[in-house]
Amino acid sequence: MADRKKLNDATPAAQPSPNGAGVRDRVVQTTRTVATTVRRALPELSPADMGSLLRKRNLQFGFGVALVVILIAIFRFTGDTKPVPPQPAVPTAPAAPAVVAAPKEPVVEAPHIVPRLPGETAPAAPLTASPTVPAAGSEAVEADVSTRSVAITSNFSGTEIVVFGAVDGSRQNSPEAGLYDVVVILEGTHTPIISRRKSNVAGLWINTQSVRFASLPSYYTISATRPLEEIAEPAVLNQHGIGFEHVRLIPAGWMAHGLTADELKSHREAIIRLKQKDGLYIRRDYGTVFIGRSLFRTQIALPANVPVGPLDARVFLFREGRMLSTFTTKVNLQREGIEAFLHAFAFEYSLLYGIFCVVIAVAAGLAASALFKRGAH
Amino acid sequence: MNLYLPIAEMSANIFVFLGMGAAVGFLSGMFGVGGGFLMTPLLIFSGIQPAVAVGTEAAQIVASSVSGAIAQYQRRNVDVKMGVVLLSGGIVGSVIGVQLVKVLRELGQFELFVSLSYVTFLGIIGTLMMIESLNTMRKAAAGKSVSMRRPGQHSWIHGLPLKMRFHRSKLYISAIPPLLIGAFVGMLGAIMGVGGGFIMVPAMIYLLRVPTNVVVGTSLFQILFVTSVTTILHATQNHTVDIVLAMLLMIGGVIGAQFGAVAGEKLKGEQLRFLLAGLVLLVCLRIGWNLVVEPSELYSLSGLVGGH
Repeated sequence: MADRKKLNDATPAAQPSPNGAGVRDRVVQTTRTVATTVRRALPELSPADMGSLLRKRNLQFGFGVALVVILIAIFRFTGDTKPVPPQPAVPTAPAAPAVVAAPKEPVVEAPHIVPRLPGETAPAAPLTASPTVPAAGSEAVEADVSTRSVAITSNFSGTEIVVFGAVDGSRQNSPEAGLYDVVVILEGTHTPIISRRKSNVAGLWINTQSVRFASLPSYYTISATRPLEEIAEPAVLNQHGIGFEHVRLIPAGWMAHGLTADELKSHREAIIRLKQKDGLYIRRDYGTVFIGRSLFRTQIALPANVPVGPLDARVFLFREGRMLSTFTTKVNLQREGIEAFLHAFAFEYSLLYGIFCVVIAVAAGLAASALFKRGAH
Repeated sequence: MNLYLPIAEMSANIFVFLGMGAAVGFLSGMFGVGGGFLMTPLLIFSGIQPAVAVGTEAAQIVASSVSGAIAQYQRRNVDVKMGVVLLSGGIVGSVIGVQLVKVLRELGQFELFVSLSYVTFLGIIGTLMMIESLNTMRKAAAGKSVSMRRPGQHSWIHGLPLKMRFHRSKLYISAIPPLLIGAFVGMLGAIMGVGGGFIMVPAMIYLLRVPTNVVVGTSLFQILFVTSVTTILHATQNHTVDIVLAMLLMIGGVIGAQFGAVAGEKLKGEQLRFLLAGLVLLVCLRIGWNLVVEPSELYSLSGLVGGH
């Protein structure tokens, strides 16, 4: 957060980033100037000034402003309810070295490792009988994450996690050799989810069909050295639940009855699509790069709306379509400070919390009327 | 500047919600309405879950009605007895409403129900208000004075049993209509995230024939207590009151309302009522549009209710 601010101060207008962040930056700039002006003017304000503020002309102006704000609010938020702009799936790691100090090597441009000799790649045509059994080779993968524990505090606005690791007993001569494929998956806790479909009933669009899925990762990022289809056969990917299409998505028991296979399939696709739109499912085909004969790393974005709960980081090592080794590590994602307190308060002592809310509300109302009474009358 | 909302579970820009609170607060202070009927749709449009918007808005209405209720009470504009009768009905209605929210959320039809309620009530109220303000404007232009109250008319309401004397309102009527009105408004408030003043005030004027000078005070008095109960019920039953979001709205809202209240005393009524009616109809059309036009995304996801 602090980094981003510094960046903005240095180059306010020079980053028309694709997400409309340029507009946001400008808004931030404006509000900051307004804030400083207000801060300077505030000590000079006396209660009598408040009264003189409330002249008819000012009030009419205020009414106009209020109308305009509301009109903008009504028509601005047309339908796009995504809380975060989606992560642009650029293959290169974004330059944010201050966030993570883990591997200090310069970030390798991903496209370097893409080209392979066509004969060599041949995405593992029906290779061997049991492609999942680790091969005779002694290669194994080890990995770790840059941050073991991410705290969600009141100013949490997303973060980045670096997953890095090494291929033990690597036989590759250079980072560009491309002998190995690494797939890194960071996934959140599995929760049940309900998918609903609207259809037109008497002119209104109403939820008419719902499917309950027993278990679905709340967050799922997949970062690989190459597109998954080139790395291994669907059957292999399926077995390990690698890739959006291969995430286990089973309708909970009786909830699925009466649905055709097609309808179920479109529910599945809709879930993935919506999750991607929310920035919770991210796929980066060239997101993982080798930066040494055995060392690899990838940067994974955790958006601000990431559901709270422990995350699993799973690393898969492939060679020629066969899975050689896996490694799993955990990232703790939890509320901290006032966020943790308020959430626990709201869910565990909900009656007290409700009363607390009312007390706060009453206090706010009283404080405002006490504050303004002196000035206004 | 962004702040993470603990119950809505999203990161939100402080100034957006402060500004929204101030703008709605100004209008609500000006017209003596709670502002919930504007704020809740705005929250939903801005990406807050409908249930969280409704629960949080209840808390904000408490804040925005406190100062008004106290001011009216000091000016002796509150019929406490009438308020208590309305209130008893209101609490029952609120309990029913919060339960209904819970059931509808489980069925996945809550958003639809909220939208339909808004379209219906905003449509009716907006149209009536528009007609009324146009009539007043025309009559004012013709030089006639208009009074809202037509005393001396008797209706079926006066034939009901359980008669009570309401001194402050100079009324001797049955307690059943105020109880029913209170219950209806309480239920609607819990579902729509509104105080219900926009229904309460016309109902008191036209159905109960309460004098206009005590109508606003009494309705504020009952709204204050009913929304307090609704807030607590939403917090315990649905866990949908986001105190951080509510505080942002409150800060914007109470400040806006103070200015709005003074503006309401100083400015001319009919044109502004006409504008408010226009605004109400606009919100109504906007919500109705979403119901009628084919959405770009037919699917929606939700977790299990209370599944935390």
